[in-house]
Amino acid sequence: MATLLYSASLNDCIARWREDGLMVFGPSTAGGVSGFREVEDAGSLDLDLVLTRSTLKELFFPRTEPMLGYRIGKQQIETEEFIPPEGRRIIFGVRPCDAAGMQVDDALFDWDYHDAYWFRRRDSSVIFSIACTHSDAFCMCTSLGLAPDSTKGSDVLLRPLAAGNGWKVEALTERGENALSSISSLLKEGGDAPAPLTDVPVKFDLEACRRWLADPENFESRFWKEISERCIGCGSCTYLCPTCHCFDIQDEGDTYQGVRRKNWDSCSFSLFTMHTSGHNPRATQSARWRQRIMHKFNYFSLKFNVNSCTGCGRCTRECPVDMGVTETLQAISTLQR
Amino acid sequence: MTAHNTTSGENIYRPAVMNIVATRDEAPGVRTMRLEFQDPLELEKFKQAYRTGMFGLYGIYGEGESTFCVASPETRNDYIECTFRKSGRVTAALASAEIGDLMTFRGPYGNRFPIEEFHGKNLLFIAGGIALPPTRSVIWSCLDQRDKFGKITIVYGARTVADLVYKQELEEWEKRDDVELVLTVDPGGETPDWKHRVGFVPTILEEAAPAAGNCVAVLCGPPIMIKFTLASLKKLGFEEENVYTTLENRMKCGIGKCGRCNVGSVYVCKEGPVFTAAEVSAMPQADL
Repeated sequence: MATLLYSASLNDCIARWREDGLMVFGPSTAGGVSGFREVEDAGSLDLDLVLTRSTLKELFFPRTEPMLGYRIGKQQIETEEFIPPEGRRIIFGVRPCDAAGMQVDDALFDWDYHDAYWFRRRDSSVIFSIACTHSDAFCMCTSLGLAPDSTKGSDVLLRPLAAGNGWKVEALTERGENALSSISSLLKEGGDAPAPLTDVPVKFDLEACRRWLADPENFESRFWKEISERCIGCGSCTYLCPTCHCFDIQDEGDTYQGVRRKNWDSCSFSLFTMHTSGHNPRATQSARWRQRIMHKFNYFSLKFNVNSCTGCGRCTRECPVDMGVTETLQAISTLQR
Repeated sequence: MTAHNTTSGENIYRPAVMNIVATRDEAPGVRTMRLEFQDPLELEKFKQAYRTGMFGLYGIYGEGESTFCVASPETRNDYIECTFRKSGRVTAALASAEIGDLMTFRGPYGNRFPIEEFHGKNLLFIAGGIALPPTRSVIWSCLDQRDKFGKITIVYGARTVADLVYKQELEEWEKRDDVELVLTVDPGGETPDWKHRVGFVPTILEEAAPAAGNCVAVLCGPPIMIKFTLASLKKLGFEEENVYTTLENRMKCGIGKCGRCNVGSVYVCKEGPVFTAAEVSAMPQADL
């Protein structure tokens, strides 16, 4: 026997959580673009999508977020801090790769300096992930040591039932248990069979790639120039990555009052590293693509013991010139052979 | 993980408010400002944390923040001095600020010069142009406890006489008999009454030929000067482990999150900005 949530009860669950003062978010499509949005009922959820186009990170690390309001007076500066949370949240219908990405970035945002903007939202959110029974040609979680039913970063894991009428429910954290207890009367016990997980083929040998990347001899290899020649530096792959976390800090307003904001930035842009003098440590697109790959699979893992890629495949799926992490790592695998 | 750990809820992006108490024009477009903390608690936190070599984010609300070193030494930590060249939006705003105006400071961040490891040694300071400020912070830290060090030599060069910064301090160091000051300007940058050297820093350094034995070198300057000066130091017999320098990459957060200052796996903001030449050599040179 296992705990089950039938699809027919989902609407009532959402209503119950909302009555309890929680906001409910999930995958939904608006204007043809799918992403995580607040929903009022189960009908607004798009749970059949392989993946939303934008990622879960936007709920924790918004594209732009006000950090400090300022007002300049005579001999004083008044500031107002805009630290979240905006409220407690249930995020329902996350894919395991997106949830794992949040755990990856926890390490970065807690690295000596604790980023309250990230963690207040993390601490006030409960992530309900749904194991994947379907995937597409770009999915590659298994190449990164993850799986369609990985539990990293999730508070509750739901396994779709074979009959397609609900999910088997597994609480993974105390936060997950608490969120389930408020809907306990809507959960059932039963022996319904779960659906088979999707089969995601392994696309490259990650350890071989990591060895190649770790060899200083390869840093100036011609490979980098060749693999990145068609990159147009648009930054889409970074914005659509569940773990890319780079940001800029900009003031919006004048010298009397305004708002200091944290905005998404991207290592794909030449201005990202440009010095005042005009010197640019990463002056070419190939140097910037190398940085992106090295950061994900070498630097980040050296520091935090986890790769900064969870295999969602969005970088490849959405790239306007059909590049992406997959192609690069497949090519490195080939070099290794 | 380290002493920098902030408690949950404390806003790590919130700067301290600073009073501008003095300004000095150093060279065309280059200015020094002395800043004092408005909040005594912020001053106490700074005094606890600040060590020579660290940097900060200096800002004006409405314009943004810019990264420079703290140019004043740890031995004089009641205030902060910064020296900058007017070149972008933030520095233009800072350059037009006046005594009595308010600005902001976030920091101090980064690592430090291990000055106590220099005790008993001869010191060689080498700086080019606008890179004297980080060097000056170490120079005063050592001059303020002069008896702990051996011979002190300072080699400083700029493109022209007008571009030399801290002219008053250069005069002061020149007069001291416990400091050997070697000043130079690039060929063509001299004035008719210039009585010091003419030539590029690496050449002048080789002519001055300070002994490498029991000596630590601190070298700050533009990348091209660093490259050639390191070669000269090598010729003079300096080991890379005994040469210190600072890297000054573009930064936005200063605390290891915004993702742009790394050279290889090294985050300049957290593991630097102070490195030995040996540490710099181990970095991927193409990304410097």
